[in-house]
Amino acid sequence: MTTLELRQVARTYPGTVALKDFSVSWTGGNIHALIGRNGAGKSTLVRILTGAIPPTSGTVLLNGTEIRFRSPADAGRAGIAAVYQELSLLPDLSIAENIHLGRLPRRQGALSHFVDWNEASRRTEELFARLHLSLNPSTKVGTLPVAQQQLVEIAKAMSAEPDILLLDEPTSALSFAEAEAVFALLRTLAARGVLILYITHRLGELRQLAGTITALRDGVCGGSFPAADVTPAQMVSMMFGEDVKLTRMLGHEPGTRTVLQVRGLSRPPAFENVSFEVHEGEVLGIAGLLGSGRTELLRAIAGADVPQRGDVTVNGAVCHPADPSVMKRAGVAMAPESRKEHGLVTGLSVRANLCLADLARLTERGLVSPGREDAMVATAIRECGIGVPDQHMPVSALSGGNQQKVVLGKWLATGPHVLLLDEPTRGIDLAARAQIAQTIGTLSARGLATVVVSSELEELLLLCHRILVMRRGRIVGALDGATTTLEELLAQCMEPT
Amino acid sequence: MKLSSHTIVLEAVLAVLCVILALAAPGFFTAENLLNVLRNISMQGIIALGMTMVIIAGEIDLSVGSAVAFAGCWMAWLTGHLDAVLSPVPAVLLAMIVTIGTGFVPGWITGILRTRYGVPSFITTLALLTGLAGIAELLTDGFPLTPFPEWYGSLGGGYLAGIPVPAIMFVATFAVILVLMDHTVFGRSVYAVGGNAEAARLSGIPVARIKTAVLALTSALAAVAGILQSSEIMSGTATTAKGWELDIIAAVIIGGTSLTGGAGTVRGTMVGIVFLGVIINGMTLLNVNEYWQHVVRGGLILTAVLLNRMQKHAHANGATA
Ligand SMILES: Nc1ncnc2c1ncn2[C@@H]1O[C@H](COP(=O)(O)OP(=O)(O)OP(=O)(O)O)[C@@H](O)[C@H]1O
Ligand SMILES: [Mg+2]
Repeated sequence: MTTLELRQVARTYPGTVALKDFSVSWTGGNIHALIGRNGAGKSTLVRILTGAIPPTSGTVLLNGTEIRFRSPADAGRAGIAAVYQELSLLPDLSIAENIHLGRLPRRQGALSHFVDWNEASRRTEELFARLHLSLNPSTKVGTLPVAQQQLVEIAKAMSAEPDILLLDEPTSALSFAEAEAVFALLRTLAARGVLILYITHRLGELRQLAGTITALRDGVCGGSFPAADVTPAQMVSMMFGEDVKLTRMLGHEPGTRTVLQVRGLSRPPAFENVSFEVHEGEVLGIAGLLGSGRTELLRAIAGADVPQRGDVTVNGAVCHPADPSVMKRAGVAMAPESRKEHGLVTGLSVRANLCLADLARLTERGLVSPGREDAMVATAIRECGIGVPDQHMPVSALSGGNQQKVVLGKWLATGPHVLLLDEPTRGIDLAARAQIAQTIGTLSARGLATVVVSSELEELLLLCHRILVMRRGRIVGALDGATTTLEELLAQCMEPT
Repeated sequence: MKLSSHTIVLEAVLAVLCVILALAAPGFFTAENLLNVLRNISMQGIIALGMTMVIIAGEIDLSVGSAVAFAGCWMAWLTGHLDAVLSPVPAVLLAMIVTIGTGFVPGWITGILRTRYGVPSFITTLALLTGLAGIAELLTDGFPLTPFPEWYGSLGGGYLAGIPVPAIMFVATFAVILVLMDHTVFGRSVYAVGGNAEAARLSGIPVARIKTAVLALTSALAAVAGILQSSEIMSGTATTAKGWELDIIAAVIIGGTSLTGGAGTVRGTMVGIVFLGVIINGMTLLNVNEYWQHVVRGGLILTAVLLNRMQKHAHANGATA
């Protein structure tokens, strides 16, 4: 059976110790969960195991022999594959082509420069049969829903028949119902002897999925136990060394004045005829499955896309949501869903990113004032709990969760009247979630109107006064955040059968 | 913007180079020669400063060389025609105002086509490269136009307090663009637009306006350089400034600006342009033949970019490892 052992593995970056002294031992045929706060070093560990970076010190033993990878290809040959949160598939190619990218089967004899498409399909079908997946190999990947793309991504990693599969937050973009398909696939793989390392911030999914749970804390092992022996509260204290609880932070009732009014907004086929109001101090949630039109709705309100019909009123003034700068001036801020594409300028520093949406307010006599910048950057780093040793670091050097906090911090700093949040806590650890929930609670008590889109229904129930449910681009229901149960909300989101 | 280590390394190399040349090349380290270097680089330098903004914003302008030729011919043509109705001084001044005033048009067109219709600036400015040269030929009918009064020559060839006039304009432009890029909302926006245009747009930054503005500004700077150039050669000549765009882009790249946009410094470009000027001057003083000079310049571009990449790579992999 496959065994993977790490002995005192360490990795430092200039100014940061990502891994200090991590030792653990994992065996095949099992799903091993790895948890830890943002910046604990989880992704760093994955990068070391896939040969993307070398460890600064320490040894990695695969089946008892020490391994040293010089490149990801080395790791691939040793039987290690990885899947990341960001999909690496090419949307315009078919499933079969994506899976065999770079090693497509060739035809025989004189035609050996040509691709043997039949063979590619056949191999893909075989692979899918082994993995119990029912997908058509000739489908274009871009037409699949994200959850199924994630399955293709895992299948692709598995096509090289690795003994070890590393998954870095593979389900953070999926809702619980959609993640279930990924879990089923992982269980199948584990049953066939594969060693699976699974990184997540959604502790709820681990009890039924994982065999063992290991926590990384401050670069060392915070404990490693069979999953059955660990309660969620224990997981939290393994990660943080203290208790952190998510509780409902809304101590106030919304006011009566309407801040945001959306009337008959349509942008077919994404969403149609959407109308709602958000009052002063209200936190409104929007629940729904992937593809129900939630992101598109928020984008249209923020002026990122032009709606076909309908209008948006902010503080009584009708805005023609033509572009984001107009909406920003009206007091609307939107933290978008995908941080790499829409949220951050990854080449710029943390400081520059935090100031980006608020430059005009940071000027004095036409020049950007470093003093004002300092003040705003310090506040944002504190309020959102951004873990960064030096604000001049490029934002790309931050851990995934900390990057997400920069996106939030940048918009909170603009002091908006209306805050639109699209999957605000994706990839963020529990402590930071609690902090962000508190920040939203405080700001809304002061009158901020907030709209939250989240695939994590528990979170909506904790954060919101009221929750709208979207299905296929239409609003189909409204629930009270304080009294609704998780089951009721989930049932509302699903298609009636 | 924090100073990149690339600029510092480059400055150090430049300093060493100057010391070597001072020792090896007779006549290098004289005030006269150094001022001469400064004059030689200043016209391309003025444009390179604009080009830095354009490249940081994720665009490119291949038409600047032709824009210089066009501006010189346009200036000469206007002066010639205005001479008929005005006395020389107002004629030249008016021609200058019109030339600079229309100088931004090619860049503005590039910007509009880029931001409204998605035409890459590479394509538009490639078209302008030929088109503007053609218009310059049409204006001059293939022969240099020489309508300028004697005193006009002091603009490109004269001195103010012992310093060449173009050099003064170069340094002034440098100061303005340095402040613009590092300390104003506009400059910060340029970096954001080039780094991730969509994230910038969602942050409320007017992406289209920023891109158009840097392209138009660079075009106008090319017109200024064109006027200086026409003054230096006392004519509007359609064949002047051929290939400048490549020298200018080379200087920007040597200075550490990334062709993919989002990163670079005005100060780096300044060093890059001085570097090129000093090398050429040094080789000329040392009697290196002109063909070798081209080879050395090519090698320099590659070395500088490699140096930059290697530093980035070392940084990404953690220099402490
Ligand atoms: N290229 C780099 N340069 C400097 N520091 C880095 C670099 N890459 C990662 N780090 C730092 O290493 C630490 C560990 O990062 P890592 O990405 O492993 O965290 P993580 O546990 O995956 O967190 P998250 O849950 O947020 O994804 C962080 O403090 C991060 O800022
Ligand atoms: Mg991570």
